[in-house]
Amino acid sequence: MNLILFIFIVLLGFTSYYFGRKKAYTIQSTNKRLTALPQFYGYYLAIWCAIPAFIIFSLWAIFEPTIVKLLILSDYSNQGYLDDELNLIYEKTKALSRGQFTGEITPFIEASAEKYLSLRSIAQSSKAVIVLSIIIASVAYAYKKISSNSRTREPVEKFLKAVLFTASLAAILTTVGIVFSLIFQTIDFFKVIPLFDFVFGTHWYPAKAFVRDSSEALDPTMYSDTFGAVPIFAGTFFIAFIAMCVAIPIGLMSGIYLAEYASVKVRQYAKPLIEILAGIPTVVYGFFAALTVGPFLKEIGNSMGLDVSAESALAAGGVMGIMIIPFISSLSDDVITSVPQSLREGSYAMGATKSETIKKVIFPAALPGIVGSILLGVSRAIGETMIVVMASGLAANLTLNPLESTSTITAQIVVILIGDQAFGDPKTQAAFALGMSLFLVTLCLNIVALRVVKKYREKYE
Amino acid sequence: MKKNGVKMIKINSKNVDVFYGKKQALFNINLDIEENQVTALIGPSGCGKSTFLRCLNRMNDVIDICRVKGQIIINDFDINDKSCDVVRLREKIGMVFQKPNPFPKTIYENISYGPTIHGMAQSKNEMDEIVETSLKKAALWEEVKDRLHEPGTGLSGGQQQRLCIARAISVKPEVILMDEPCSALDPIATAQIEELIDELKKDHTIIIVTHSMAQAARVSQNTGFFHLGELIEHGSTDKIFKNPENKKTQDYITGRFG
Repeated sequence: MNLILFIFIVLLGFTSYYFGRKKAYTIQSTNKRLTALPQFYGYYLAIWCAIPAFIIFSLWAIFEPTIVKLLILSDYSNQGYLDDELNLIYEKTKALSRGQFTGEITPFIEASAEKYLSLRSIAQSSKAVIVLSIIIASVAYAYKKISSNSRTREPVEKFLKAVLFTASLAAILTTVGIVFSLIFQTIDFFKVIPLFDFVFGTHWYPAKAFVRDSSEALDPTMYSDTFGAVPIFAGTFFIAFIAMCVAIPIGLMSGIYLAEYASVKVRQYAKPLIEILAGIPTVVYGFFAALTVGPFLKEIGNSMGLDVSAESALAAGGVMGIMIIPFISSLSDDVITSVPQSLREGSYAMGATKSETIKKVIFPAALPGIVGSILLGVSRAIGETMIVVMASGLAANLTLNPLESTSTITAQIVVILIGDQAFGDPKTQAAFALGMSLFLVTLCLNIVALRVVKKYREKYE
Repeated sequence: MKKNGVKMIKINSKNVDVFYGKKQALFNINLDIEENQVTALIGPSGCGKSTFLRCLNRMNDVIDICRVKGQIIINDFDINDKSCDVVRLREKIGMVFQKPNPFPKTIYENISYGPTIHGMAQSKNEMDEIVETSLKKAALWEEVKDRLHEPGTGLSGGQQQRLCIARAISVKPEVILMDEPCSALDPIATAQIEELIDELKKDHTIIIVTHSMAQAARVSQNTGFFHLGELIEHGSTDKIFKNPENKKTQDYITGRFG
């Protein structure tokens, strides 16, 4: 029903576009100059069709359920039911009307369900009637209004601006929403676990919190020495460091090669090939690290008499580095290519060789952009989850030995939130606290990176 | 510089052809450049005068699809020969570009760039001296002596171009190529550069590509006129401007086309 109505309104929109344009052509044919192109008259009418429809649909969506509920429950008023019971009755009614009710059917509920169905159908048909009549009225009004000197271009442009604004607003509001949900849970977490213990504690063992019987009262003392985040922060930065040790040299050098040395033909094929690396899902990198690189390192280590864990920071960090190569190589390639050719020629004309030119002129000129690309790579390394979950182990060891297993913030969040969790439990809230700290770290990195990149842009525009 | 009344030839080009891919840009250019004189290359846009200029320090090597044929002999040596060391060649033949292109470094580093690459200064004092003399020769010293360690990109357009000239002369080149050095400058900065060119020809051979006939007449002793990739006529500037042999030259000089 709703779908048919919707299609009908869309058709109506197209029709009003057509009529608007046609009227504009008619005005034009009488040798009058229009204030806008004929299409704008069409769009203008279509907007007059779309806006009322949108408003009525949203109002209906907001108020219809409430009103129907009120009408149904009015039968049960003055019978001494509690609010919860009334809600239950309403849910039963709805379920029965959909034919999904399995419990005992009382005549009262059956009557309510029938009433519910009839109310719904009345609502639906009245919605259709109201929407269509208002749309037709508004389109007709607008159609009469348009003349050779009526303004249509400005409202259409304004409408487009409003649509675009709404889209970006949606993205921003989502971000704000996510941040707020993080903040409130984090605050709850720190009510139980002191901030000091979280930031400076060196023992991370959330499994201890699993043993709590949820019916018991919360006892903060049992969580002491459970949520010390130092080992996992250290693990995160350590693995990110290993990753950047792999990604920065290789990425940068391949970026320089692509930008300065590669012939047009090589570049044409090499660049997309490198960017394919960026398209590989991180899960695939994860099992590459866990099933290929990890055991391989263990074997090599064992043959050299070293004790290597199958899940080592080195395996996870190394593979993560490979994953980040294309970001650094592609971004630094772009930055280096955008250094003006005149600087290159100036340097060559002084008798500088290619490598001298790159080292002394191009690299310093591109440095801010390169630093920006590296920082973006770092924030990816810190936020990366799948590879570390699969390849670096889940035990939060505080270690700087790359051959041992460590754990990261993201991996711990996964560990905590997999399976059943109780809301309001410090264990679950710990995930939010970790998420919040991760968010703050990557936010700072991104802000710095964007600043640096922006500074670079100002230089050449 | 004249020896026994005969003008010394610094650069001698024989049958130079240049191709961009399949398109031929220069046809059989034979042009001699006199030492310690200013030679102006004039002609309408796209006539190949800049291309020819870039042959003289092998800057066309930078362009992948560009091929150069023929001989260009400087100091009895063919620079298109395989044994030619481009780094040494460009040390001897400096270049100033159309748009000022100082490096995004300090004024001092802009000048010290070439001497450092070629290992010309043994100590900091020597380098300071090179920087000072180069800037003085480029008539920029007085304006920048108090801010040598500020970025070169912060100077005005005319100052930047003089900085680029100072950069070019810092390695004491024998020849300076100038590719429309004043086209991005205002009349006052242009006048300063022209004065400078006149001064520089005492120590250097200068070849300047210019769109301004007036400029060619003001600064040069010799002029070559290019049209559609061919060298139509060359000779002393006086003769080219007052009494050209070729009708095309006359038409261009008098502004009938171009």
